[in-house]
Amino acid sequence: MSASVNKQSPAERLFTLTCCLMAAPVIGLSKNDIFGSVASYAEQASDTAKEKMFDRDKSALREMGVQLEVFDSTSFEETDAARYRIAKGSFDWPTSFEITNEHMRLLELAARAWNNQLLSKSAQSGLIRLRSLGVVASSRELSAFTPRLLAQQESFAPLADAISSGKLVRFSYRKTDGVSSVREVTPLKLRFIEGQWVLLAKQADQIKNFLLRRIVSQVKTSELDGKPVSVAEIDQAEAELIRFVANNVAVLEVEMDGEAWWHFGGNDSGTIEVNFMDEALFAEDLMEFGPEIKVLSPESLSNRINVGWQQVLDTHA
Amino acid sequence: MPKQEIDAEDLFNLSLSIVGLVLKDGPMLSKDLAEHFGFSEKTIVRAVKTIANSEDIGRHETHFYVDEDLLEKGEVDFSAGMAALRRPPILSKRQTTALAAGLDFLAALPQFVGNTALSEIRSQIGSGTTPITALAPPERQATLQIIQRALLEKTQLVASYVNQLGEKSERIIDPLRVDFVGRRHYLRGWCNSNQAVRSFRLDRITNVENTDKPISQAAQRADIPLEVFGQLENEITVEIQATQEASEIFWNFPAFDIQRDAEGNIIGKIQVGNLRALGRHVSRYAGQVRVLSPSSAVATVRQFALNAISGPSAPEDQD
Repeated sequence: MSASVNKQSPAERLFTLTCCLMAAPVIGLSKNDIFGSVASYAEQASDTAKEKMFDRDKSALREMGVQLEVFDSTSFEETDAARYRIAKGSFDWPTSFEITNEHMRLLELAARAWNNQLLSKSAQSGLIRLRSLGVVASSRELSAFTPRLLAQQESFAPLADAISSGKLVRFSYRKTDGVSSVREVTPLKLRFIEGQWVLLAKQADQIKNFLLRRIVSQVKTSELDGKPVSVAEIDQAEAELIRFVANNVAVLEVEMDGEAWWHFGGNDSGTIEVNFMDEALFAEDLMEFGPEIKVLSPESLSNRINVGWQQVLDTHA
Repeated sequence: MPKQEIDAEDLFNLSLSIVGLVLKDGPMLSKDLAEHFGFSEKTIVRAVKTIANSEDIGRHETHFYVDEDLLEKGEVDFSAGMAALRRPPILSKRQTTALAAGLDFLAALPQFVGNTALSEIRSQIGSGTTPITALAPPERQATLQIIQRALLEKTQLVASYVNQLGEKSERIIDPLRVDFVGRRHYLRGWCNSNQAVRSFRLDRITNVENTDKPISQAAQRADIPLEVFGQLENEITVEIQATQEASEIFWNFPAFDIQRDAEGNIIGKIQVGNLRALGRHVSRYAGQVRVLSPSSAVATVRQFALNAISGPSAPEDQD
């Protein structure tokens, strides 16, 4: 048994707070209960100092995925009516959740891809949590492979934060026709598709995909909570994107043995079929190969590339 | 590599995770926990003390009973006192975003095509099972396999390589690492012709074979720079302007003097190794990137576009 003789460290305070809330009855704890249970709060000189410390800790817990609920109960005196408890499910790993050594190796590689950038810390702390599920050995085969993600868009960090906090955001989005408009959305997921970051978000009643590249203003996070979105809705939106990509096929004539031919994995027929997500982005990838590629279909892609070459000439007259 | 320092939130996270593992698997040596979680033994002891010091002072109840004598001897054992905590919380949204995006990224790489374990873990950590598009054709998998084997066996490769100017050469390369940066694979290796570490884009390697000869001593001593574009010789400074959407062009070159104008465009200077390669990098943005100076760079981009429209022999227009 150990007594907290010394001053609690911030980590000890968060840990004790979590344990007290976990051990609380269904009716939760009042702020006074919490202030009387966790040594660091009890030691604060003023109520204001206690409140400030508690506010900081509540945000820290939420950011770490410990969902703290506050609700009112009329069964208590007014000062104790606001009750705090940890939301059901915060600590419930799905019973089907199983991680093998092979899964863990892939997750380590996925985390390593962040290479000290933006989400590297979150990926690492997620790995630590997953490692508590079992013992794994490290990998030899993947050790010489270093994938590195690039997430340099300014919008990335505020969007990742808004996904965590479930807040609405607002930004200016410019479509490929050059028209920009302000969008107010509930960000749901950031995904890396075709070498580009894509935000899945709910705008009004629709779930849409936004390319981070086309966000042309700062992302402003609102105080307002985002719209609730079910897992089924997200799954459906993702399935639609997959169907959309599967139907987007370009037929290209590629110069045999040239760089494009090697890049796209050409065959003896000289023509190849490639699926793509976004026509404008795909056009960029093709233009890099200059005269080596001719688009046979779709016509819209071919036209877009022709207009693109003219724009290059116009800006370099 | 074990980390030496840890902030309060990570220490809290580690403590929660140690609770989960020890309550599930029983007592463990602190050195094994250090190895398992990737921290120093000292940090593990700090995390265990965080668990030990958790007490409800209002109720005079201890959450966990940690055997401190055993801890002194390097063993971690505890039992739950009044604690209802049995495991760490499920992944936060931010942790999920980070890991799911990393897994998405892996799923798009040719060496993971058809990887069942990757599909399984992606279905658990929220990105669905199907990669939406591949970042490279499956054929590149064969090239990667040859390189991976040479990396593990520490043997030399002989490769046919086409550089960005279309010049073909045969290179003897001592492979050091494979990087996937942004959207491209690079073989980082000791180039025996240049006697230096070079980056080779995998989609420009047209043929590769393992020679089964051991890699050179020079290669074994070599440091691999972080950036794939490495050191340039005789570099040329080019001033460019890019719209917000095309600003990623600045990430592909050593860049400096970057400013934003009133319309939100980004203006800055990049260093390129050879002007002839500039055409493709600028043209892909269909006028959203504009070369401002020198005039020779403007002319190069223009010529690249003319070649693309009319074939390589097209003369410059006379307007």
